[in-house]
Amino acid sequence: MSILIDKDTNVLVLAITGRAGALQTRTMIEYGTRVVAGITPGKSGLTVEGIPVYDFVVEAVRDYQIDSAISFVPPRFAKDSCFEVIDNGIKFLVITAEGIPDHDAVDIISYAKLKGTRILGPGSAGIIAPGKSKLGAHPSRVFLEGHVGIVSKSGALSYEVGKTLTDAGIGQSTVVAIGGGPIWGLTQREIIKLYQEDKETNEIVLLGEIGGRMEEEAAKFISCYVDKPVVSLIVGRSAPKGKSLGHASAIIEGDKGTVQSKVEALSKAGSYIARTPTEIVQIIEQIRGK
Amino acid sequence: MKLYEFQGKRIFKENGIPIQKGNLLTSAEQTNQIPPPAVLKAQILTGGRGKTGGIRMWDGSLEISKLIHDMFSKKIRGETVAAVLVLEKVEIIREIYLSITFEWEKATPMLIVSSEGGIEIEEIAKINSEKILTIPFDPFMGPTEYQIRYIAKTIYCKNFQELKNIIDAVYKIFKNYDAQLVEINPLVVTPKGMVALDSKIDLDEKSYYKHKQLFESLLKEQRALQGINKDFKPYKLDTISYIPLSGTIGLISDGAGTGMLTLDLIKDAGGEAANFCEMGGITDPEVIYKAMEIVLAKPGIKSLLVVLIGGFNRMDEMAAGIIKYRKEHDLKVPIFIRMCGTFEEVGKRIMNEAGIPTYDDLLEAVNKAVAVIKEE
Repeated sequence: MSILIDKDTNVLVLAITGRAGALQTRTMIEYGTRVVAGITPGKSGLTVEGIPVYDFVVEAVRDYQIDSAISFVPPRFAKDSCFEVIDNGIKFLVITAEGIPDHDAVDIISYAKLKGTRILGPGSAGIIAPGKSKLGAHPSRVFLEGHVGIVSKSGALSYEVGKTLTDAGIGQSTVVAIGGGPIWGLTQREIIKLYQEDKETNEIVLLGEIGGRMEEEAAKFISCYVDKPVVSLIVGRSAPKGKSLGHASAIIEGDKGTVQSKVEALSKAGSYIARTPTEIVQIIEQIRGK
Repeated sequence: MKLYEFQGKRIFKENGIPIQKGNLLTSAEQTNQIPPPAVLKAQILTGGRGKTGGIRMWDGSLEISKLIHDMFSKKIRGETVAAVLVLEKVEIIREIYLSITFEWEKATPMLIVSSEGGIEIEEIAKINSEKILTIPFDPFMGPTEYQIRYIAKTIYCKNFQELKNIIDAVYKIFKNYDAQLVEINPLVVTPKGMVALDSKIDLDEKSYYKHKQLFESLLKEQRALQGINKDFKPYKLDTISYIPLSGTIGLISDGAGTGMLTLDLIKDAGGEAANFCEMGGITDPEVIYKAMEIVLAKPGIKSLLVVLIGGFNRMDEMAAGIIKYRKEHDLKVPIFIRMCGTFEEVGKRIMNEAGIPTYDDLLEAVNKAVAVIKEE
């Protein structure tokens, strides 16, 4: 098993006729993802890559069993379209849009919690279970089926580390990018919990960055509940103070949010600490006794 | 977007939160209408005015025009004083802290209350964190009655309805204006009831499209007071984030995480980045073209490192943008491109045909970019 998705996951694509939606539908299908339907209001009757387009989610769920959805809807329409997915009982939703107003993001996540839908994002680059399925724009050749579970805030960093592991012949069970914040549905802690419970995942890689306290929260959880080896890499060691580096929450204020405080919390929790992607490979090889 | 105190108080008043009688002076020449004793408050966007001469009492013994002139003539916390707010003095029995903001990592709005207001919340937290009450609440329901009763008990407030009206109004502003923070510090208890002595409101710029008129009028008002009368683009429309640093290696990345990682790797290799420049998720060739313009405009750049590992970003488009830039500019520094991801075959072919090498391994690209500096 992988976490959150597997090869049998039936996927709905929101804004399937848009530029990103249409292109990523193609790359997802090429990878083997079971995309069954798409939504673009006013475009029902069309097909994209052979996939039927509907105006409303309720119409798609009438014709298909849908397990998960990925949204390419732009920020200003995001809230309404997410509510529609949640109302139709779809249990897992990936939101790729960046720049959704904070109140909208909080409303989406609160409503999803109430109705039992898991949200990945906003601003998520998606999730890939190598060799099985992907919801997102991942460059598939940098991933390899295997037993390392990766959780990252940044999408590109999850690709980077995926690539470094793949180049070294180390495969991944699932690779999850939760988004750059400052508001998150699924957190590092929740993804780590899923990896701990997943039979196919042997080691967990946590990719964190400066700012906030999410890594510290994950550390608390690791120290109490995780017995699988965790390897953590926190980027932004050489970042200047008081500047937000690309991600809204990637900012060091005073002594808060530094790499040091995160590394301390994580190593106290029993995690291995890597300084570079190459070191992650070395540590995993060491753990595996190679 | 941070608002000035007087802008925030105008919103308070419109929403039924009691404020002092006051008088806004936008220049030293304007005549004050408030009789002594009064409080003079410099209007700046940075906090902590009290400690740096931004707030002064006026008991009538001095000429007020001189005090006002003084205030306008100096910078406070590095900021030019935009206006001076003259407020009637009120009799203070107690000072309370009250705000609504997000508990970001739990994706929930929360109330923060303390029976000891008047100083910054960070200071209260340092002195006595038990005095601070944080109450997460449902974004759809707003603060519930039992939560407000609990707050009333904790801050020794006897008039529940009065407190509820204020909290409800703060919540309404928070929600309806798409605010990230609505703070009253202090909210004071006077013999005549509660009064908001200060206001701090921070609006979410991402919600600009929802409140176009309001945001633009607030921003125009701010710019006019700051003496900026040029045409303004209210908010940047591209996704590029650029931060200048002190080194000589120009850096462009298509993700924040890999950008930060590359900063670290550059340092490990003995180099220093000239900047951090992340392009975000927009795939247009124009974006990398613009990123190159921004990064290479800084003097002293000795090599350029472009780190691409595209998912949404398409390598064919990135390559097109780089080639276009090179055609139109005299590229004086060596360029090192790590190219990997969506449509990378096309992207690499384009770069190859143009005679620009690409790398697959990030460390290799970093080391090459740093080596150029070291050779000098």
